[in-house]
Amino acid sequence: MSEKKIKNIFVNGPITPAFIADSIAKHSSKTAIGGHSIFMGQVRKDEIDGKFVAAIEYTAYEELSLEKMHQIREAIFEKYPLNCMHIYHSLGTVKTGEICLFVFTSSAHRKPAISACSEVVDRLKAELPIWGKEIFEDETHQWKENI
Amino acid sequence: MEIEIISFGKISELISNQKIDFDGIADTDNFKLHLEHQFPALKSMKYKLALNKNIVQENTQIINKATIAIMPPFSGG
Repeated sequence: MSEKKIKNIFVNGPITPAFIADSIAKHSSKTAIGGHSIFMGQVRKDEIDGKFVAAIEYTAYEELSLEKMHQIREAIFEKYPLNCMHIYHSLGTVKTGEICLFVFTSSAHRKPAISACSEVVDRLKAELPIWGKEIFEDETHQWKENI
Repeated sequence: MEIEIISFGKISELISNQKIDFDGIADTDNFKLHLEHQFPALKSMKYKLALNKNIVQENTQIINKATIAIMPPFSGG
């Protein structure tokens, strides 16, 4: 079930709970599915040197990110028997407590959905040229780095 | 030879997007030397290059009108 078209994953601003709920609801007609796995990344209010993170501002090399994501998507569909996979990542400002990443995989039985979801998140963080700038409450900033 | 430079993340605060006329820069190793000479702060930073949207894994020849992206470590998600 590979998808040939390069899909956009970027959303301006936070990913809303309503968007996520709607995305779940859309699967009720896909009755071959028996298990969904969802990962949501939320902006954490980290404390660094006595200052608290207020938001993360995301930027990306969009074209390269989408191409990379396409390759990852193809590889994951090849590896796991999935019915579908949806990925959304924020660009721009996302405040603490808001959702910045939404990965949603579905399969007939739960295990492929769970493994695929986890692998997509790992690969996305390591391989997609996306950058998060942590904005503190006093409007200073520092650039985040994935370990 | 004209090269378009685009930079991201922390490096975008150091190097702005620009078109430059380079002579005698034939490959990406050479480009890095030139870049680090012009922006010494880069020497102590981790970064990767993408030449025409391909991440540079090994020294690669640069042709005219290339776009080179300078990318610090990724931090998506």
